[in-house]
Amino acid sequence: MGLPNESGDLLSKMDSDASRRLFPLRFYESHLSISTRPDGRPLKSAREAFVGPGDVASADGSAMTKIGSTTMLAAIKMEIMTPSADKPDEGSIAVEFYMPPICSPLVRPGRPAEIAPVISKQLYDTIMSSGMIDLKELSLISGKAAWMVYLDIYCLDADGALFDAALYSAAAAFSFLQIPVVSLSEEGRLTIIPEEGNGNKSDKDVVNKGKRKLTISSLPFSLTCGLHKNYILPDPTSEEETLMETFVTVVLNSSGHLVSLYKPGGPVLAQTSTIQDCIALTRQRMTDLQKSLDEAITEMKVD
Amino acid sequence: MTGKGSATPATYSPSPTSRKGKPPAYKDGDLNWARPDGRGFQQCRPAYFRTGAVNAASGSAYVEIGNTKVIVSVFGPRESKKAMKYSDIGRLNCNVSYTSFSTPVRGQQLDHKEYSSMLHKALEGAIILESFPKTTVDVFALVLESGGSDLPIVISCASLALADAGIMMYDLVASVSVYSLGVNLVIDPISEEESYQDGSLLISYMPSRKEVTQLTVTGEWSTDKINEAMNICLDACGKLGEIMRMCLKEAASVSSEVNLGRPGGRLKGLQGA
Repeated sequence: MGLPNESGDLLSKMDSDASRRLFPLRFYESHLSISTRPDGRPLKSAREAFVGPGDVASADGSAMTKIGSTTMLAAIKMEIMTPSADKPDEGSIAVEFYMPPICSPLVRPGRPAEIAPVISKQLYDTIMSSGMIDLKELSLISGKAAWMVYLDIYCLDADGALFDAALYSAAAAFSFLQIPVVSLSEEGRLTIIPEEGNGNKSDKDVVNKGKRKLTISSLPFSLTCGLHKNYILPDPTSEEETLMETFVTVVLNSSGHLVSLYKPGGPVLAQTSTIQDCIALTRQRMTDLQKSLDEAITEMKVD
Repeated sequence: MTGKGSATPATYSPSPTSRKGKPPAYKDGDLNWARPDGRGFQQCRPAYFRTGAVNAASGSAYVEIGNTKVIVSVFGPRESKKAMKYSDIGRLNCNVSYTSFSTPVRGQQLDHKEYSSMLHKALEGAIILESFPKTTVDVFALVLESGGSDLPIVISCASLALADAGIMMYDLVASVSVYSLGVNLVIDPISEEESYQDGSLLISYMPSRKEVTQLTVTGEWSTDKINEAMNICLDACGKLGEIMRMCLKEAASVSSEVNLGRPGGRLKGLQGA
């Protein structure tokens, strides 16, 4: 960037769209100084969140979430596996986060986004350590068969706070999940019983009768805050993410306990008080997210 | 895969795989079979189009036809890859991909590598490439769910996304396929019908200019039948074009009222029509 004074003069003469592109940092800081963010939000507020069923007919459970314009589509497919010998009573979960080229101008076919596997790993760790899913519930026949849960999350529109939106969609997809009813065939394989033709099968063949839903004890919710100078800016957009270098992601579960906290480096030293502020902001955010999700779940039951 | 442990255990889907043994009911001159979704032979599924689905893109569109769901994003015109030679006219770059849950069994989605180039060929003739020299327009499609007739739906959706991005075009491209099943012609087939086909015909058509940008025929066809199929197809393309045009008009009237539009005008793409 040019000399500060020079650019300051230029800035006052230019229309806002040009200055946003040419001097993004100055443009941004001039907004912060009047306690507002370029998209019109007050400094401490997150964008509106939306959650609903994903309507993916080929999946056992799916959810669509939006945070601002960041959009995620999560789908769960259940497959059968032989559990490992040391954990014969447990199923397994695999999480994959995808950023297809449609989601952002920065991703091109054949050149996958670097951040995608990082988010996959974070999601997996968070889901496993939050205690949301009891892996023992995924067991079908001890030592012989258990559910392998494939959770695939696609980012359809990337505008910042990808992890928050992805985790929200994962929590929703697990809440909406309908476990298929399976029976044991003569060859020793488990197959789905079609919903209509239940009458032909005797009940004793059904392996997981009356167990169509997972008991979800506590859902994890997260909020990412960008730290810029002395500002704490929750739920950054992709434009803001390019300007800030320090982020703190806090994950809390529905009972308010801290599940995890990521601060992947960055030049701004996060003070203890800053971290506490981030946690407080996440706690506020969690109530909103939980409320929207509860509403979506009741709406689904009505249908 | 962020699976557990190093070796991912071998898994299988519990979905019934009985489809193989089922004899196609469509053969043998029987005229009285019904389509699995209860449609008439020459009846298309209802189509839902929406533009502006992806904010990060210059233009985008979402289409839902039956169970087939597609999103197309358009990026650019932007700088061509460094390795590209100088070009007086613009370049078009297309890519079609599927989600891992697009098909009933996970990870069994066909790769359909040829779709990217077929999409390119179907759109190329409709875009005024001279209007963006030296640069590239990227058209990326993601099939969220595959429910049959994927390629024609991707093509129609892509042309709508291009219009949303304000890329200059001669006309919208509407695309429809007709399959031959025994003695019958079936329009806008679903996946199950596609797997029993004896022949397929796909037309991508510019309804206002009455020009075909792409015609693909596979399988065995008699001259009479192919004429009939083409007429059915062109008729359906015309109607689909109307729906797409209506979607654009709606989007334009909404954005002029609320003025939520991004910088750079929308809907410049139809000036040539």
